Amino acid sequence: MNMKIDEKILQSQVQDTPCSTSSLSNYFEKDAPDEKKWADCVHCGICLESCPTYEVTGQEQHSPRGRVHLIKSVAEGKLSLNEQFMDPVFACLDCRACTTACPADVEVGPLIEEARGQIRQAMPLTGWKGMMSKFFLEGLFPHHERLNKVGTLLKFYQKSGMQTAVRKTGLINIMPDHLVAMEGVMPKVTQSVRKKYKHEDVIKAKTETKSEVAMLTGCIMDVMFGDVNDATVKVLTRNGNDVTIPKEQTCCGALHVHAGDREMGRKLAKQNMEAFHDADTVITNAAGCGAMLKEYPELFREDPEWHEKAVEFSKKVQDISKYLYDTGYEIPKAELNTKITYHDACHLVHGQGVRQEPRDLLINIPGVEMVHMPNADRCCGSAGIYNLTNPEMAGAVLDNKMENVPEEVEMISMGNPGCMLQMAMGVKKDGRNQRVVHTVQLLNWAYEKEDKKREEENEWQ
Amino acid sequence: MAMKGLKIKDKHIRSLANLLSGPKPILYHKEDLLAYDCDGFTIERHLPKAVVFPKNTEEVAAIVKYCHENMLPFLARGAGTGLSGGAIPLNNEVVISLTRMKKLLSVDLENRIAVVEPGFVNLKLTNSIADKGYYYAPDPSSQYACTIGGNVAENAGGAHCLKYGVTTNHILGLELVLPNGEIIEIGKDGIPDSPGYDLLGLLTGSEGTLGIVTKITVRVLKNPEDKQTVLAYFDRVEDGSQAVSDIISTGIVPAALEMMDKTAIEAVEAAAFPVGHPRDIAAVLLIEVDGISSGIEEQISKILKVCKSRNVREVKVAESERERARWWANRKTGFGAMGAISPNYLVQDGVIPRSRLPEVLKKINEISEESGLRIANIFHAGDGNLHPLVLFDARVPGETERAIEAGSACLKVCADVGGTITGEHGVGIEKREEMRFVFTDEEIVAQTDVREVFNPDNLLNAGKLFPTPGRCAEVKKELKASTS
Ligand SMILES: Cc1cc2nc3c(=O)[nH]c(=O)nc-3n(C[C@H](O)[C@H](O)[C@H](O)COP(=O)(O)OP(=O)(O)OC[C@H]3O[C@@H](n4cnc5c(N)ncnc54)[C@H](O)[C@@H]3O)c2cc1C
Ligand code: SF4
Ligand code: SF4
Repeated sequence: MNMKIDEKILQSQVQDTPCSTSSLSNYFEKDAPDEKKWADCVHCGICLESCPTYEVTGQEQHSPRGRVHLIKSVAEGKLSLNEQFMDPVFACLDCRACTTACPADVEVGPLIEEARGQIRQAMPLTGWKGMMSKFFLEGLFPHHERLNKVGTLLKFYQKSGMQTAVRKTGLINIMPDHLVAMEGVMPKVTQSVRKKYKHEDVIKAKTETKSEVAMLTGCIMDVMFGDVNDATVKVLTRNGNDVTIPKEQTCCGALHVHAGDREMGRKLAKQNMEAFHDADTVITNAAGCGAMLKEYPELFREDPEWHEKAVEFSKKVQDISKYLYDTGYEIPKAELNTKITYHDACHLVHGQGVRQEPRDLLINIPGVEMVHMPNADRCCGSAGIYNLTNPEMAGAVLDNKMENVPEEVEMISMGNPGCMLQMAMGVKKDGRNQRVVHTVQLLNWAYEKEDKKREEENEWQ
Repeated sequence: MAMKGLKIKDKHIRSLANLLSGPKPILYHKEDLLAYDCDGFTIERHLPKAVVFPKNTEEVAAIVKYCHENMLPFLARGAGTGLSGGAIPLNNEVVISLTRMKKLLSVDLENRIAVVEPGFVNLKLTNSIADKGYYYAPDPSSQYACTIGGNVAENAGGAHCLKYGVTTNHILGLELVLPNGEIIEIGKDGIPDSPGYDLLGLLTGSEGTLGIVTKITVRVLKNPEDKQTVLAYFDRVEDGSQAVSDIISTGIVPAALEMMDKTAIEAVEAAAFPVGHPRDIAAVLLIEVDGISSGIEEQISKILKVCKSRNVREVKVAESERERARWWANRKTGFGAMGAISPNYLVQDGVIPRSRLPEVLKKINEISEESGLRIANIFHAGDGNLHPLVLFDARVPGETERAIEAGSACLKVCADVGGTITGEHGVGIEKREEMRFVFTDEEIVAQTDVREVFNPDNLLNAGKLFPTPGRCAEVKKELKASTS
């Protein structure tokens, strides 16, 4: 196996891993799965049932325990970095449910990402998949201007009648099923907040300023879900926060890291850490991005200088729902009169340990009736671009999810755009008529309703 | 057929694949099989020949029949949480995984029975009937993941089995595929105590050596009206175990009575569900009483009194359901928590007369010192079922062997004080030799004779449950039979 040995890495390994099995290992030395992580696994199997891919397949190699076992087997020289190893490692949804379930606190997620990095080093993507991945991950997501152009194109697609044309002409019939499903639920493209607030260095609090926060807008999020970002800005400013949107920020890198491109992940991470250098608090509203920012230290295990910076940075990152809950916010006064349920985005509940706060935000809105969703913290199958790369498994996971979504609610609330798209597909597939919303959107609607009511009352007076 | 189009070289694999339906119903690549080389007992590892995923009883029967006709060894596997190696393919078996037979077939609350497929997960049963006020009593700590089929095979117990009994007390009927592929049913319609031999009793706890369970009728119970949970900290193990005996001699039958020692506390506090136990105490007791509300208060006050009379340092009653759940999560994840303080553990499963606990713990401590390995103790104190957890690092040469020796020595201590070598985890591979601490060769042969009635070719899960001398005697007997 061709080994790239980097002096610096060797040094840090000597310090970090006293009992290294690297002599047998089939991994590249650089950024290999962390022995300290897999050594914690005692093979008890308590994690099995938490895993959506195990639920679908019933197969151990598609379970957290099995995956850790295989990752360990490569380190022990019993397995090589080949296609058969790749399948279980890439079929993982990265949902982190196993991290919550595991009594020994085994960090299965980061281990799997490290293993993916190794596979990509050993077997770079070629052909069509390679091109697609290059196009999206390197050519598009990190570039805000390009994404915006795509957004404009999409808007054009939706508004010009082309969407109707594509659907009517049967052009849609030649698209793969899962793309058709996704096309069908694509949100109406709204204005990106980065565009909207282009000329404002600071978006001032609507009331007396309590704190200053910086916001990560997300790459696709800002183009496809501009309205969620806008709701976030409004909710923040209403509650006494001055908001800045650093211009140099870029894609968080989660999709790259999930795909095994850790080099690109590090590049983006560095850019973001610099972009947010002056901020004390970094607000995210996309759970996947938030979890990634908090895990930047994982990317720099072998680079002490950046590792330290990443640790400092990760402490500043807060999900919007937790931030509001912890720092205090105004409870809306208008009644929304609606029945809703809440889905735990994996990267919020398992990735960031945020479970109760968003629920409380929602329940505190007058007139909101919350219906319990069994297994609410079960993955919906979205998992970044997993629904594009593993459509079959994603579909099966979604079916399992939809079985638990109560029929009687009008809205399904959550804290992650990827889930919103996937759940919207589930709703459509099931022939339901439910609206999929972000938690801050609901909160913002309540505020807007309250303002409107007040205006109307003022008019009367 | 899902596997069509694939070129499979091995004739048997091809034939087995043709007996199955569903997506990817057979695994045979080394990479996939590696994930099946052990269960919760990680010390022995063997690769299976293949792993098959039948969807119903007929597919199980077809697979078994094929294996039987072609003399291929085979065994059943549930979730693979077994701690004695019962699901490890010692003889390159075809592993029949029951994880795709996981339906809850029916619930009849009026008659308090439920029928499940063998791969149905233990905790899911309680979760599915909880809103109606019912539950399934046997609650092994692995209940988040283990299957009811595996529970039947191991006759699993749990924290609440002190009052409510172990799995065998809750099984009303079984559907079974015999090792020749024949399907039989025992205990029809959930009517307990049918006349004739108690076959249900024989099969429950037979560790997957007599047949493959494909359907299970279980008893479900109504939730107790009320329950209360107490946590008590002791500075001396002697005081803690004396308190256990005293509580039971007051006539109270607690629903659960659990104990953890200092090393176990260190692990659970370092792991995912800490509750803030003081680190310097010698023992913590977790006591739960349940039943009709009116009796509970009195029982609790008696328990508190006993604890105080035995020099308890601190004792508290759970103030909310949330607190109670936290205490239980902390206790129930105790084995897995060992991962937080040690790379590997070997859990033992001795049973001792309760009153001998201090003496046994002292001896276990000596074993720990001699072997140079730490040993944590988790104890179903109420029924004397002790789990010493030997902590070791398999990467250090020689440590695994020392751990096995230490584990065995712990069991010897249990047998010597009049106890036995397994309470609930089964014998499997792990405790075959230790069977000799409690049975003579003749007694073992008597048992293998019973196995022979069901499993004459010994193709099903061979090499488990009985020690090698038993097998020698068996071979001699077989020879005798074939010559006469
Ligand atoms: C952390 C942890 C805690 C545990 N706590 C407890 C506890 O408190 N109490 C307790 O009793 N046990 C406990 N166990 C042990 C284990 O969970 C039980 O033995 C459980 O019953 C095994 O179920 P399984 O589905 O995992 O079976 P497996 O491990 O897959 O199999 C166990 C045995 O059963 C056989 N088998 C499985 N399914 C069938 C079937 N359908 N028909 C015939 N044979 C079958 C297998 O061949 C094997 O011999 C614990 C294990 C762990 C890892
Ligand atoms: S990952 Fe955790 S829960 Fe899963 S087998 Fe390993 S120790 Fe047990
Ligand atoms: S991250 Fe999710 S899909 Fe991956 S092993 Fe863990 S539970 Fe399974």
